[in-house]
Amino acid sequence: MDAVVKETLCSAGINVDSALERFMGNDNLLIKFLKKFAADENYEKLVKAVEQKDREAALAASHTLKGISGNLAMDRLFELCKTQVDLYRADKPDEADALISEITAEYGKITSVLASCGMI
Amino acid sequence: MELEQEKHVVADTVLIVDDDEINRGILDNIFGDDYKIEEAENGEEGLAKVLQLQDKLCAILLDVMMPKMNGFEVVRKLNEHNLLDRIPVFMITAEPDAAMKEAYHLGVMDVISKPVIPYIVLRRVNSVVELFRARRSLENRVEQQQNQLLLNAQKIIDLNQGMIETLSTAIEFRNGESGEHVRRIHDITKFIMKNTEFGKGLSDEDIDNIALASIMHDVGKIAIPDAILNKTARLEPEEYEIMKTHTIQGAALLERIPQLHENGAYQYAHDIARHHHERWDGRGYPDGLKGDEISPWAQVVSIADVYDALSCKRVYKDAFPREKVNEMIRTNQCGVFNPRLLECFFEVEEELSKMYRKEDKEYWTQ
Repeated sequence: MDAVVKETLCSAGINVDSALERFMGNDNLLIKFLKKFAADENYEKLVKAVEQKDREAALAASHTLKGISGNLAMDRLFELCKTQVDLYRADKPDEADALISEITAEYGKITSVLASCGMI
Repeated sequence: MELEQEKHVVADTVLIVDDDEINRGILDNIFGDDYKIEEAENGEEGLAKVLQLQDKLCAILLDVMMPKMNGFEVVRKLNEHNLLDRIPVFMITAEPDAAMKEAYHLGVMDVISKPVIPYIVLRRVNSVVELFRARRSLENRVEQQQNQLLLNAQKIIDLNQGMIETLSTAIEFRNGESGEHVRRIHDITKFIMKNTEFGKGLSDEDIDNIALASIMHDVGKIAIPDAILNKTARLEPEEYEIMKTHTIQGAALLERIPQLHENGAYQYAHDIARHHHERWDGRGYPDGLKGDEISPWAQVVSIADVYDALSCKRVYKDAFPREKVNEMIRTNQCGVFNPRLLECFFEVEEELSKMYRKEDKEYWTQ
């Protein structure tokens, strides 16, 4: 992987080495799924569900986003989603909903970096 | 042996069941070098693929949270189909602690946490796949060896029967018979036992043993001098007394072969050799047994022996026509038989008579 691209991705909180390890050093596969991440609609679903206080839909979207961000080693986003999922499950929906602003900030940071690397 | 092994399908396929494309892509990338890969996007599709692929699968990697049917439901279904003993299931879950207890309880092989770490998941799956392969190949070998043992046992049984037939035929040759007599006694005895009330209560194995034993009914004739055995004229009273001892001599001969005592046919053979000339009214020999004192098998062999002797040419007589044979038996001209046995005998006599007709011989020698 191009050193500049790697550094850019790292600057947005993507642990590229850890992700590459999961993809067994397969750059192309990682890039393919980073593009998938950008195209994935679970973030939008989550925002909408939180607005509408649809906790079931929010849990499902957050759970999926957690899985994707975990696999792609977006460590901060993964932690936020994990906390949110746990809170929904612990029947603390208000605290869970409140995490959406932090998730939005993190998600925005990542997508803008992906765009600058030509992955969107 | 090689052909046997080819019958078993090679289990070389890993089935990945996960609704998330990235998860499937990662696992595919990890296992694709070593295994064939099949994928399913939800539990329902996963279950269908398992049932379709069955023994081709060496492992199932199963997500927990999935649409349509979740991982636990899939495992329960696999359990209902008794597949968990044959195909190891690995649950791959983001919440291993919550899933572990139920997963193991249901019979899952291992629980692996997500996001996966490649070398860990690869190692854990590989070890179990190897274990299952070794176990399966061991089972195949045991099965093959068992089949071989059964085959060998059957060969020994066949050889035993062959030797018994050879011995009996050799004795028969001495008084100018072709060897077909013992074969027919065997067939008649078996047919009456199998197809009439007279064999009631006896298993197929019992009947086979009785039929085998019937072959040896005249082994005692080996002790009778040629001059008496092959005499064409009527025997003098003292000669007849000697002839009659073939029953006692036969039983005594069988007693002296210790290896035979273990054989399921021995007790029958001993009884038949000694008592196949006893008659229902007590006027037979050597012991003058009467009625039910004579065992059913000795009774059947005695009527078979008489029927065959009358139907064929012997050194001392010509063959009688069928009607004459039946009349002689019915009217007790060759000694008195159990009325119930006569009834059974005439029920199947039509079939038995085919043995003596050339065109029907093939049917009987099958």
